[in-house]
Parts: sequence; structure tokens; C-alpha cells
Amino acid sequence: MINKLSIIYRGFGSAKLAIFLFFTLAVMSIVGTVVLQGLSPEQYQSIYRPGVYAILDFFDIFDLFHSWWFTMLIGLLAVNLMVCTIIQLRRIYRVYLSPKGGINDDAIFRSTQFNAFFQSDRGFSEIEGQTRILLKSLIGRPSSIVGDGSSYLFAEKGKYSRLGVVFVHVSVLFILAGGLIAAIWGFDGTMKVVEGETSNRVYLSGGKHVLGLGFDVRCDDFTVDFYAGGVPKEYRSDISILERGRKPLSASLRVNHPLRYRGLKFYQATYGLAPKSYMLVDVKNRKTDEGELLKMRMMEKTPLPGADTHIAVGEFKPDYQGRGPAVLGVLFEKGKPHRMFWIFQDGAGNASAEGDFTFTLKDFKRYYYTGLRVSKNPGMPFVWGGFLLVLIGFILNLFFAHERVWVRIREAGKGTEISIAASSSKRSEVLEKKLQKLSRKLGLE
Amino acid sequence: MILNDTYIVSVVTFIYFFAAFFYLIFLVLRREFADHTALLLLYLGITVHTVAIAFRWIQSYQLGIGHAPLSNFYESLVFFSWSIIFIYLLLLRHYKSGLVGIVASFFAFIILAYASLSGRVEDHIQPLMPALQSNWLISHVVSSFLAYACFAVSFGTSIIYLVGPKIRMAARREFWDEITYKMISMGFVLLTLGIITGAAWADRAWGRYWGWDPKETWSLITWLIYGAFLHARLVRGWKGVRMSLISILGFLAVIFTYLGVNYILSGLHSYL
Repeated sequence: MINKLSIIYRGFGSAKLAIFLFFTLAVMSIVGTVVLQGLSPEQYQSIYRPGVYAILDFFDIFDLFHSWWFTMLIGLLAVNLMVCTIIQLRRIYRVYLSPKGGINDDAIFRSTQFNAFFQSDRGFSEIEGQTRILLKSLIGRPSSIVGDGSSYLFAEKGKYSRLGVVFVHVSVLFILAGGLIAAIWGFDGTMKVVEGETSNRVYLSGGKHVLGLGFDVRCDDFTVDFYAGGVPKEYRSDISILERGRKPLSASLRVNHPLRYRGLKFYQATYGLAPKSYMLVDVKNRKTDEGELLKMRMMEKTPLPGADTHIAVGEFKPDYQGRGPAVLGVLFEKGKPHRMFWIFQDGAGNASAEGDFTFTLKDFKRYYYTGLRVSKNPGMPFVWGGFLLVLIGFILNLFFAHERVWVRIREAGKGTEISIAASSSKRSEVLEKKLQKLSRKLGLE
Repeated sequence: MILNDTYIVSVVTFIYFFAAFFYLIFLVLRREFADHTALLLLYLGITVHTVAIAFRWIQSYQLGIGHAPLSNFYESLVFFSWSIIFIYLLLLRHYKSGLVGIVASFFAFIILAYASLSGRVEDHIQPLMPALQSNWLISHVVSSFLAYACFAVSFGTSIIYLVGPKIRMAARREFWDEITYKMISMGFVLLTLGIITGAAWADRAWGRYWGWDPKETWSLITWLIYGAFLHARLVRGWKGVRMSLISILGFLAVIFTYLGVNYILSGLHSYL
């Protein structure tokens, strides 16, 4: 029974399972990028035939990365990592950090990575004393077992670098834990705030839930700047937080510069024209000489005076071809195809004439809304911790090696016999050089 | 101005071409002078290449839109090519091989030729859009492309491992296996740094450190494949043909992460 359990335990911690999970997760992730994620059922039904749609839908392929089986695979990876880490830690502790075997085990001098045997004419105690000093300067202070006419010395450095791989593995567990915490206690969503207005409603992603913040977010101003070539330069929302009649915080929110308040983070995500934006256009019917100042909103059809004709405006340009601000008008005249034309301000050439009408842009009141991403992620410290651990692990692995040197010195007649054994967890050239130096200084060749 | 950075880069393209050419001469005729010439050309090439990148950096400040030249497709290709030569010259300190020299200088040449001679890559200095205005830009791009460069070299050595015996050129097969492994472990560390810096940046710019965006997902796929490679080698002791195939598979994932995601899929990471 114990044996069976042990087999299962080792199976869960095996590299075989890890490799299998790596490839499986890779293949499933490929599927998740080939099949578009998170569209509406109608969109999917227009892409896939009903049969295919039903199968993909059954296996949650449309939200693959959050499906129960993908989560299971990641959970299995976590179990694999945990078991493997425990096995590894116990082995590292047993073999390297607190080895049971004594340093006077003669087998060491036959079976280790580097082995050398020398004879010297010099006396035992002279060689022994010098070896201690050399080991201390090359590796570290040696421990020793001194007997009658023999001495065993052992020096090592960097044994904790063996933990590098454990750090890397544990870091992944931290990151997964962070993700789990975020999934349980965190949320993210979006909110829209029109310039000059306040809101406390966050639309949570992945559902139709609306969350009340418990305080108000006011958008004092929104600006978008462009470079000369038309590439956006900066999106900026000037935001105030209002809570119980007070204003604890005002800040400018920009992309890459989020705002933090009460454990929530606010990010500049998107923007647009608010529906309350309007423009004033002066219209004159040249036939009837009727005139009117129209107040129009984007994409709304407005009747024109004295005729069965409508106008809508579709686009605003701050400067159209060097002629100043302009709006794109669309004229719907009964029985004729619709026509598009630009409406300018006074002084920018003649008033725009189209059909029986002339149009002049008088004013344009633009109100933006800013689209903020709001998130609460209590798992973030774990994720950062994971990032830190993986760095520590890599540094231990890359820049440190566990070097061990055993020396056995025996009296042999007048002279001395010296056996050296050594091993390194990394590239061996460094250690080889040290060993050469050791034997050279001891006068051994 | 006649002397601009794109002009210098097109000169570097030819330098890398001649480096590859001299490595070929070295391999065929076994003349030491060709090996030395090729290496000299690579040192010359990477020096001029570095100057071109620095020059472009300075120029962007003169245009009033100063930023590190790591922000669009052209700049990424130029830096990718630079990274490959850089990694090769680092590798040279421990492993010497004319065959790897050919692979590295040929890759660097092809990439630069596409960037600067094909005329299909927009090479103007462009201003940074808001999402790219971040201190993470340099660390994220540099670690990612150094990783790609390591994987490019390991891809080359895996190919040599597979076809080497057939063309009777690469006798010591373990040597190629060894370089492949060294390059992949270095690339894996760098890719991990690239993903971490990318995640930290995404957290600041997009409000989440991970969102299964195609670029993120494909970087994870690449990471998983090379992670499997390292486990297979270090724990299971796999060697030889199987490892070469995983390495080649990994590099295909790298290429898809770099280009395929942007040209075939679409997502937030729209600037390559």
C-alpha cells in the first residue's frame, strides 16, 4: 500500500508528467489563439457550421483559457510542481545541505568527478597545514577529521546555489497562486465617465454585472494630443474622486500612469464623444429664404426648414485641409441618393451650399467620455513575489556553482600520500584551475 | 541628409554577407586567414551596426520624438540582427566553430537585407504612441530579442546536428548538441525576463499582467516548448535527434510569436 502511494506520489512529481503538461498546454493554447475568443454566439454561428459550433461550444473552446478543463490542466501542473519541489528539496537537503556520509569515506576518492593521487617527500604535518591554508583561500574554511597519521579535509562553497532550481519552480507556484487569488477575490471592469459628470458604476468584464464603487469618479477634463503626423501622443483624463462630500484625490490619468485608490487601480483605456455633444449649424433655404439655427447631435437626422429633406452629421475635423473646423454633413432629400459634403465656419470661403440650402457651422460643443479600466487584484503581491523568486533562482543558477573539494592526507614512511577529489555543479573549468593551483602550490605535479 | 542610419544599416548588411562568405571559404578550403577575416568583418559589422542604432536614437531626439530605436518592425529587425551577432560573439568565447559563424552571419544578413533592401519595411523614425511610452520598453525588447537570437543560433545548430552527418561536415555531433543546449538555457532565461518585463508593463499600461492576448499566449507556448526541452534534457537525459526536433519546433514558435501573431492573428500588441 505504502509502495503504491509512493509510486503515485512520484508519478505526480515526475518530469514525464511535466513534459506532457507542457506540450498539452502549448497545443491547447495554440487552439485558443486560432479560434477567436470571447465573441458573441451570433458571431460564432456566422463563422462555424452548426455542428462544428455545437462541438466547440460544448468543450468551451470559445472561452478556452477560462474553461474548467484548462483550469484543471493548470491545477495539475501546480500539483506536479508542488510534489516535485518537495522531492527536490528533500534530495538537495539530504545530499548537499546536510549530507549523512562522513568526509572520511574513502569511496569519495574513487567515484567523484575529479580524482588525483600524489606522493610527496615532504612531511605529513607540513603538507596538512599548507593544504588547510590553500583550501581556505581557494574554496572556504575546511572541516576536518584528523586521525592517527591521516587527515581528511573537506571544503565547499556555494552549496545554496543548488536551491536555484527550487526557487524557479516555487516562483511558478507563486504566480499561479496570484492568479487564483485574483480569480476569487479580484475583479476588473470598465467605466465610462463623461466630462463634467460623475459615475460610480463599473461594468464587470465577462458578465452583465454592474458594481457600485461606494465613491464617485468625476471626469474634470479629457484631452487627446496628436503628433504632427496624426499619431496619438497622449490621452489624459483629469479625474477627481468624490467621497461623502469630500474630494480626497485629484489626479491626471494617462496610459502607463494608472491611479490607485482604496485598493483599486484605474487605467486610461479608451475614449469617445459623449452623446450630449452637439453642434450649432445655421441653415438657410435659398428658395423660401427660411432660416434656422439647428442644434444637432452626431448621427441624428434633423429635418430642414421648408422642405421634405433631412440632414445628419457624421464626423468632426478640427482642421479640414487648412480651412478650419468642419463637420461632415449628409443630406437626405426625398427620391434622391444621399449626398455628403463639408460644412465650414464663417469666413472659411463661402457658406457650404448643397441643394437648396446653405450651411454655416456656428459652434461645436464637444464632450468626451473617458473609458477607464478598473481592477482590483489582491493576488498581485504573489505575482511580484513570483517574479522576484524566478530572478533569484536564475541568478543562483547562472552565477554560482557548488564546489566541493575533499583531500585525504596520509603518512607514508618519511613522505606523504595525498588524494584529492572534487566536484562542481557547473562548468568545471573554474574548479579545474583551482585544483591545478592547489597541487602546484603543494609542490605536486 | 545622405548619411542617415538606414544607409549605414544597408552597408552593415553587406559586411555580414561577406563575413558569411569568408566563413564558407574557411569551411571549404580550410584556410585560417578566411576564418580571421570573417571574424574581423563581424567585429567591424557589429561596431558599425551599434553606431547606426545609436545614431538613430540621437536622430529621434533631434526630431523631438526621442525614444530608443526599438519601437517598430524595422527597428526590431535591425536589433534582432544585432542580437544574433552579439550572441554569436559571446558564444565564441567558449565554443569555436566556423559552421555556427556561417549560420549567425547568414541570419543577420538575411534579416538586415529584408529590413533595409527589400523596400517593404517602413524605415522612418516614428513617434511613440501612448502605450509604448514606458520605461519598460528597453528592458522588455532587449531581453526578448536577445532570447530570440539565442533561439536562432540553437535552431541553426539543431539543423547542423540533423543534416551534418549527411553532408560530412559536422563530425563531432555532441558538440552541436551541447551548443544547442547552452543556447536554449540562456535563451530560456532571457525569454523569461522578456515575459516578466512584458507582464509588468502590461499591468501598468493595460491594467492586467496577463490577459491571454495572442502575443502573450504565443510567448507562453514558446516558453512551454523550451521548458519541455530543458526538462527532457536535464531530468530525463534526452539527447540527439529528439532534442533537435524540439529545438526546431521551439524556433518555429519563436517566429510565430514574433511575426505570425501580428500578420495572421491580431491583438493588443500591434507594434511587433
